Amino acid sequence: MAATGQVKDLTATMGWARGGRSSLRSTNLIRIGLLLGMGIGWEALSRSGLLFRDVVPSLFSIWAAIWKLVMNPAFYANLQVTAWEIFASLAIGGGLGVAVGIILGANRFLGAAYEPYVYYLAPTPRIIFFPVMIMWFGVGVASKIALGALSCFFTVALSTAGGMREIDKVLIRVGRSFRATPWQMAMKIYLPAMRVPVLNGIRLGFGTATVTALLAETKLSNQGLGFMIMQIYSRFDMPSLYGLLIIVFILAGVGNLILGKATGTSA
Amino acid sequence: MASPSFSQSRAFPILLGASTFIGAFVALEVLLRYGVVNKYVVPLPSQVLMSLERIVVEENIVGRMRDTAWEMFVSCIAVIVLGVPMGALLYRWQPLRRALLDWVAALAAAPLVLAFPLFLVIFGRSATTVIVMSVITGLAPIVIKTTEGLLGVRSVLINVGRSLKMTDAQMLRMILLPAALPVIFSGIRLSWTFVLISVVGIEFLINLGGLGQLINDLAERYDLPGTYGAIGFVILVSVIFFMLLERVESWLRPAR
Amino acid sequence: MTLASTATTGAPSGQRPQLVIDKVFKQFGVGPGAVTAVDHVSFDVKPGEFVSVIGPSGCGKSTLFNIIGGLLDEYEGDVLIERERIAGPHKAVGMVFQEESTFPWRNVIDNVAFPLELQGVNKSERLDRAHHFIDLVGLKGFERLMPSALSGGMRQRVSIARTLVFQPQILLMDEPFAALDEQTRLLLGDKITQIQQDLNQTTLLITHNLTEAVQLSDRIVVMTYRPGKVKRIVDIDLPRPRSSDVVSSDAFGHYVAEIWADLREEASRGMADSESARRGGSRG
Repeated sequence: MAATGQVKDLTATMGWARGGRSSLRSTNLIRIGLLLGMGIGWEALSRSGLLFRDVVPSLFSIWAAIWKLVMNPAFYANLQVTAWEIFASLAIGGGLGVAVGIILGANRFLGAAYEPYVYYLAPTPRIIFFPVMIMWFGVGVASKIALGALSCFFTVALSTAGGMREIDKVLIRVGRSFRATPWQMAMKIYLPAMRVPVLNGIRLGFGTATVTALLAETKLSNQGLGFMIMQIYSRFDMPSLYGLLIIVFILAGVGNLILGKATGTSA
Repeated sequence: MASPSFSQSRAFPILLGASTFIGAFVALEVLLRYGVVNKYVVPLPSQVLMSLERIVVEENIVGRMRDTAWEMFVSCIAVIVLGVPMGALLYRWQPLRRALLDWVAALAAAPLVLAFPLFLVIFGRSATTVIVMSVITGLAPIVIKTTEGLLGVRSVLINVGRSLKMTDAQMLRMILLPAALPVIFSGIRLSWTFVLISVVGIEFLINLGGLGQLINDLAERYDLPGTYGAIGFVILVSVIFFMLLERVESWLRPAR
Repeated sequence: MTLASTATTGAPSGQRPQLVIDKVFKQFGVGPGAVTAVDHVSFDVKPGEFVSVIGPSGCGKSTLFNIIGGLLDEYEGDVLIERERIAGPHKAVGMVFQEESTFPWRNVIDNVAFPLELQGVNKSERLDRAHHFIDLVGLKGFERLMPSALSGGMRQRVSIARTLVFQPQILLMDEPFAALDEQTRLLLGDKITQIQQDLNQTTLLITHNLTEAVQLSDRIVVMTYRPGKVKRIVDIDLPRPRSSDVVSSDAFGHYVAEIWADLREEASRGMADSESARRGGSRG
């Protein structure tokens, strides 16, 4: 059987997609090569004077700007504000999302009635609700938290509802046959089964909340990293703009990674 | 029981859901009229509905929709023209795929939209900024799904092509892409959804162009019913867009 | 287990063979874990002949199929078509695969016309020829349907028509009826026989189905279990033209019994092998 299996493998791939033993080394070589190439190309473009002055600033100036930012206490103050917004958004929106998701997933009828709304309202440009949030909560941090909560609510609710539906009905019946109390059912059956979908939803929700908070800050705010980005933009300080964006992307990536490890799910 | 009761039919939940929202509307109207909820924060739902007509007439809704539609159109085409070949390249060269696919997946999850101030500097406050930003946001899903779809083509179909001595280009055009189309389109659906969100979102943020700017305008004028109405209108348009994409995707899914 | 002698075995008229398999050897992997799928197999197929290769599962038949079809090019020995060594899929060979291979996004006639499209044949001629072969396999009237609307047997017929449409000199089939039920198999077998006789089509059929092989073939190459060697080559002297009625004749029964004796031995070895693999946990 192994022979026929192997034949299938060999004939199954196109001549050129058949990569064979592409080792880790060649993977890393390509990556390093690409990064080096891009870096050199960037630097060359920057010095060539082809583009308007600082649109492509030298990598060194960007690096210097990053250092300056990291040394600036204002950066940390703003980071704190944004981080708080994200955390609060996730807590409120995520909390509501889990609750609603459990209800919609557990009860088929309610799910049929209301989940379509959640499903179809999720992929919409929710940032346009910002003016409404400002009207309700003012121009401070609260409006951004509200918008963030609104955004990540959908993500978490859908993920949770899906998870609830996936729970093996057999497991539930087993629990009932042992006459488990509601508390035991929740702790021993529902919770373990729900762990992955809920945490995955929260991880995705983190991404949503992050983008939302930052974008809202760029629109109307006097605090936070988004505000800081617009400050730098208005000064046309290009190296710092690139620098801060890089820092923000790295932080967002690290946050996602940590959440991924903590929840045991992949990116 | 010969026929299912009404409460068990499929229509019932849908009606319940709809009536809940209509009921909420009505309740809100009542609460506002009785001053329970602050009229300066939440407008009367009836006024919101009436504002829709005003918006259509006064705010050049057709022109605005055309602007947004144009940005969407260019972005959607660009994202396919760029994304599918990139996905095909990753499919064709395994070393490249091993090196880059993870990075592309990471990019798909990154808040790329945040870089819009950068493009504001480069392209100014223009439709180009909106388009470039949206293309960048929407590229990754198509690349990933194209690669995935091509990799998933059944090997026997590839062997048919090989036995007929097809060239690489013929294989791609006549066997690989058609076979992978359902998966590729699910990437397109995801991508175009991101594009819509991005286009409208950036229009809103930089106060330019079509529907996104409309909301900005109305909000700055403190036109409460108008703002709510416009937001509702844009949400409705995006929901319809999304539903259409879903319809096409399920039509493409093989019947087997 | 006797090794069959070289290609001229049992050739009464001394006709030059069209397809020659000469000491083909294929091993997968290296070292102690290596598996020999095809072990110096030799036989030939003359023009217009219907030859079946039969053997138990795991005897390397599919490997042989892929080698002859040019899809597998690392092997020892020679595959010669009209005395030339093949290099990749040969244009004179048409392959019919075991798995479902119709293109789901094309309707029947577009599926069948596909090879002609590749050859640049103009549209009206393409469609004409496609119609002809669609009729030949008995699917007249189904031209505009999509494969998803057809049964498995019908789809396999589409694949066969698609292969016949460019009139390959050699038809190479790998268990094309494996997924079909017995009645469909017998009837399709009839169709294949009829087509082969009408077109005088040189055919090489890989199968594990003994009755099918005897029903359709002029000669049967019996293979051993892995490593696959030629155990025996049997001339099937049943009258031509043949129909599925032949399965009820005495001669048919004798051939089946004779070959089954050989096959049973190999099949038992195969079973014993997989059982010990299951028990011992080694690669089966």
